[in-house]
Amino acid sequence: MSKSFAKIMLLIALAATILSACSPAGESSSRPTASASNNEITYATAKDINDMNPHLYTGSMPAQGMVYESLVENTSEGIKPLLASSWEISKDGKVYTFHLHQDVKFHDGEPFNAEAVKQNIDAVQHNAEKHSWIKLSTKIVECKVIDEHTVQLTLSEPYYPALAELSMTRPYVFLSPKDFKNGETMNGVNGYHGTGPYVLTAHEPEQYATFEANTDYWNGAPSIHKITAKVLPAGETTFLALQKGEVNFAFTDDRGADSMDVEAMKQLEASGDYQIVRSESMNTKMIVANSSRSGSPVHETAVRQALWHAVDRETISRDIMGGTETAANTLFSSNVNNADVPLETRSYDLAKAGSLLEQAGWKLDAGSGTRSKNGVPLSMSMYYDSNSSSQKIQAELIQSAAASIGIQLKLVGEESASIANRRTTGEYDLLFNQTWGLAYDPQSTISGFTSENAYLHTTQGIAQSGQLYEKINQVMVSSDEQKRKALYADILRTVHKEAVFIPLTNGNITVVAPSNLQHISFKQTQYELPFELMSFQ
Amino acid sequence: MNVWKNSAMDKMGQLSLIVVVGVIIAGLSAPVLAPHDPLAVQMSLRYAEPSWEYLLGNDQLGRCILSRLLYGIRPSVLAVLVVLLLSVLIGAILGFLAGYFRGKTDTWIMRICDVVLSFPGYVMTLAMVGILGVGLENILIAFVLTKWAWFARVIRTSVLQYTEMDYIQFARTTGMGHGAIIRRHLIPVTFADIAVTASSSVGSMILQISGFSFLGLGIQAPQAEWGMMLNEAREVMFTRPEMMLPPAIAIVIVVSAFHFLADSLQVALDPRLRQSGLQPDRLPDQQEVAVRL
Repeated sequence: MSKSFAKIMLLIALAATILSACSPAGESSSRPTASASNNEITYATAKDINDMNPHLYTGSMPAQGMVYESLVENTSEGIKPLLASSWEISKDGKVYTFHLHQDVKFHDGEPFNAEAVKQNIDAVQHNAEKHSWIKLSTKIVECKVIDEHTVQLTLSEPYYPALAELSMTRPYVFLSPKDFKNGETMNGVNGYHGTGPYVLTAHEPEQYATFEANTDYWNGAPSIHKITAKVLPAGETTFLALQKGEVNFAFTDDRGADSMDVEAMKQLEASGDYQIVRSESMNTKMIVANSSRSGSPVHETAVRQALWHAVDRETISRDIMGGTETAANTLFSSNVNNADVPLETRSYDLAKAGSLLEQAGWKLDAGSGTRSKNGVPLSMSMYYDSNSSSQKIQAELIQSAAASIGIQLKLVGEESASIANRRTTGEYDLLFNQTWGLAYDPQSTISGFTSENAYLHTTQGIAQSGQLYEKINQVMVSSDEQKRKALYADILRTVHKEAVFIPLTNGNITVVAPSNLQHISFKQTQYELPFELMSFQ
Repeated sequence: MNVWKNSAMDKMGQLSLIVVVGVIIAGLSAPVLAPHDPLAVQMSLRYAEPSWEYLLGNDQLGRCILSRLLYGIRPSVLAVLVVLLLSVLIGAILGFLAGYFRGKTDTWIMRICDVVLSFPGYVMTLAMVGILGVGLENILIAFVLTKWAWFARVIRTSVLQYTEMDYIQFARTTGMGHGAIIRRHLIPVTFADIAVTASSSVGSMILQISGFSFLGLGIQAPQAEWGMMLNEAREVMFTRPEMMLPPAIAIVIVVSAFHFLADSLQVALDPRLRQSGLQPDRLPDQQEVAVRL
């Protein structure tokens, strides 16, 4: 017995030595500049790039953004040309005529021309149900080839966000017609040849994918030769891989989750090998309340408002996000188009929350500490992304504050795909989510209120949902700027009053990159990074 | 008690027993012992260093780690003991039935055991959590449903050794009922085997529960559990490695204590010792048999 005891002590000592060797203090690992000299970027991604078919929704958007391009581009100065060098819009706002760039080729050598545009748009339209969240898909009547480099898009009615929606990462981007299966893309495709600056050259599922610079890129070959997406599901492995130089780049993923925590990033920056670049505020991180769930307390406006008051945004912003994100009090921050609407600020106020619940008839049960009404306990489930290092902490903070006013929150951590599925099927009370980013806010996010794939369940249960949907339809077809503004203000006031979107913080994209990487910039969309503009010193 | 006397010779066994009993008592009386509310969030104390008020420091939400550790004993250790008791009970009943009656009963029970045992335990548990949903209760149910077969098999083997022995045959010929034979002649002799197998599997079950909670399948927030605390510490593994120590050390100590205890129990209850006739509790049995004859 004493022998085995000694053995175990030895083992513990050994384990301790190994562990301490892992600590950053004893770090003497190779520097990330090793890969920088190869002019390559290897980025860490929590998830595989998955299906790169740009007309479906399972692929990784940053990867698709490198390979495929849209007709026009959404920039901070408005819509700019991309694959279409110019366009005209008819007087009635129904007919869009695009003049395409002439010397563009797909990665497989096929010419990019009006016929290819028509085939792609038709393929998207044939799968209309999948794309119902993007309202343009319900307005396109016809896509007509005028000549080799001119294409005409006819809408059923004027639709002002048409160009903005054509600029999105998907689905209106272009895949070589040779990759189509029987003229369609909805049942899978034979290859992933786009027109973008990078070509997908290898993909080992759940391990890595490599993208090489498209030397024939019509807009000039990019400076970074090769980009590799390496699957690293956990934050600590990403941190170690960055430290060892196995990967040299990491950024906020398309679900808004940073796998590394703020302090780990600061440690990397302090080493001098890395820089941290943050975009301006891109979106609003929020808790979405399922107002249409009639059996649950979340159906009640007062409960949702009380929960809103129970969120300590300042603490989340300062302590959990380390000051990198600002507290948000409205669904859209005021710099979003048409969203500068004065709305009542519901600050962190537990007394107010308690009295709201009291007025609504939720009485505190002294025994359990949970409120109830007509025998229904005030208990709700809250779903968070288990890959996000900060969501669980936020959830627990809110849970603890809510418990003190008699609201019981059950926390459930799930994969992001499962959360997205819950949003579609309506099987949730509360879940963590984010608005779709500057390129999509407010028009697409608001259109999403009426789409089952997005926020239909969230908004359906509010008292004036019929009126709300009517206004959303009006705003999208209205051509009068002033009228649009007034309608948006109405819509935002309604959802704010009903407290179905409980804002937390204004999120941004954080990039951890080698310190000698230059020209790191951001697009209007949070789902893509302009890798083609970056270069090493 | 003979067990205590024999293991009294073994210092390690004694120490382990003290640790195990101490941990169980600490878990039961957590509300009295814990210096703070384990769920009280205080963001101003986020990741605070150990202090006199918070002996082990505070976690990512400023909660008292010591208090969470104490409350964590309940799901991590006490729940495991309950599950163990249940699975041993089911296993023992079926094992005795199979080993004592043999024949068709034996065949049926053992084939069912074969079916249950032919799936890897982790996979079975994961499948059941998939069906029943995440949560500590569901994992515990899954444990009971998968572990009993193993106990049934071990206990059956142990019972088989004795059913063929002369004194059992004698008891049968004298017309003693099956129940009485099992109760008076089999349970006392097989109890040692049961105790040893049960105590040696506690360790692995504690590790498995912690493992599932680490994966987020076990107890749900905000309740404390050692595996979950370890998972929370994992996220700051390189910035605050010290956060991993309290739950990790607690798991190591408790699991080692159970293993050492199992070892000592085995030595103390070794069948060879028993056959030397030194054990007082076996004497009445033998006397009784003699009288009846």
